[in-house]
Amino acid sequence: MKFIKNHLMFILPLMAILLGIEFFLVFERTTDTYEQGLKDGYSMFVVTKEPMELSAFQALNDHISGTKLIKRENIVAEVTKGVSQSTSEEILAALPYFYNLGLDSYLRTSELEKIKKDLLSNENVKKVETFGSSHNSNYKLFSFIKFTLKIFIVFMAVVSLFLIIKQMEIWKYAHKERMQVMEIFGAPLMLRSGVLFKVALMDAIVATILVSALFLYIKFYWATQSGIDIMVQNQEVLFKLSDIGLLLASAFFIVIFAVYSVVFSSKGVQE
Amino acid sequence: MSNVIHASHLTLSYGNGDKEIIKDASFSIKKGEFVFITGPSGSGKSTLLKSLYGQIQATEGSLVVGGHDLATIRKGKLQELRAHMGIIFQDYKLINEWTVAKNVVLPLMIAGYSTEIQDTQARRLLKHVKLSEHADKYPLELSGGEQQRVGVARALAKNPVVILADEPTGNLDDYSSNVIWDLMENACQQLETTVLVVTHKIPTIFSLPYRHFIIESKGVYEVH
Repeated sequence: MKFIKNHLMFILPLMAILLGIEFFLVFERTTDTYEQGLKDGYSMFVVTKEPMELSAFQALNDHISGTKLIKRENIVAEVTKGVSQSTSEEILAALPYFYNLGLDSYLRTSELEKIKKDLLSNENVKKVETFGSSHNSNYKLFSFIKFTLKIFIVFMAVVSLFLIIKQMEIWKYAHKERMQVMEIFGAPLMLRSGVLFKVALMDAIVATILVSALFLYIKFYWATQSGIDIMVQNQEVLFKLSDIGLLLASAFFIVIFAVYSVVFSSKGVQE
Repeated sequence: MSNVIHASHLTLSYGNGDKEIIKDASFSIKKGEFVFITGPSGSGKSTLLKSLYGQIQATEGSLVVGGHDLATIRKGKLQELRAHMGIIFQDYKLINEWTVAKNVVLPLMIAGYSTEIQDTQARRLLKHVKLSEHADKYPLELSGGEQQRVGVARALAKNPVVILADEPTGNLDDYSSNVIWDLMENACQQLETTVLVVTHKIPTIFSLPYRHFIIESKGVYEVH
């Protein structure tokens, strides 16, 4: 019972940190996808006197990633029903050129304003519409959710790290005497801390397996059955097999740090 | 015969050198000698012993053990030097979560001997200290005298060049004390091991010739 308790006291906070890391990865991937969706769905509307190439727009601002010319014939056709062919051609000739501009990332309102200003600096550009207000509210909500989740993950990791340090203190007292005796008899650092390394690395493997199992369950069972769109749509990014390696490496790094803290604070023979 | 231990104007202190325990002590101990160091409680006997295995550094003077100046020795070398020492403590300092046999072969384990050699040596050493039947027990299952015999067996495991013993019979009855003295006498006589014992009282029955140092008023003096 004491054995299990000792291990759980280390495994659980370690799991919390690993969960934090994995949540962070999943959240980043999911939000990247969402952000991509927002970015793809967003475009600026620009009116020019003469036709303009993409390179000409990009010369004004490098956030511009694509252009789509809106066919003027369609617009003229809508407004000139019942009008003679020659009149229709005159209207077409008088009409400016309309473009939808795509951007390379999801930008803040201030950056949109900067693009607008850059575009208007060209004499050929007559008007720019950024749809800033609806974009801004979406962006703020999105940023807020992202920020609060990150704060929560960091907070959870810090609390867990404190719990691990606490457990380290217990380890320190449990193994101090043995390590001191071994030191007196000339044991090198790796030998006298060998047991600690074994125990800690085992705990790291157990914690990684448990966290990986949890995320595999979420990915293959819970996400599908949850009916939550974002979960179902992004099932692929919920947990990647390569994450196991990353979690294991993180767990090893944390426990090796823990063991060395114990080893280096156990020097000297007690009176 | 060569000196195993050589102290020259040795001063040992605690704190930042404020509290001197031993002052300006000079002495030499040769290979195969049996040495008793006595003195009143708090005179610095154990401090002197700790300095011999590098636990405490000299504030002044020099202390050379096995050809190494302990003031300048590197950590790796100190570990190597300690591996050639057998150290016996009044409170035994056995590892309670290890069996008696495993405790005994600790120095062999540190030296990287194979498990087979460790097992053979554990049997031989435990037979030597008459504890063969306790090999698989844990230290806390043994009496004080038996635990100290395990400590002696551990100290002898690697045929050390020098045995340093800090009040080895301090907590033991007369019978157990005599067994411990016999074991150390044998090591000195048969293996030519230098034995240095810190004790408050020299045993009355002791067959070997020995040297006797006394610590008094911070000085280390040989009694002739």
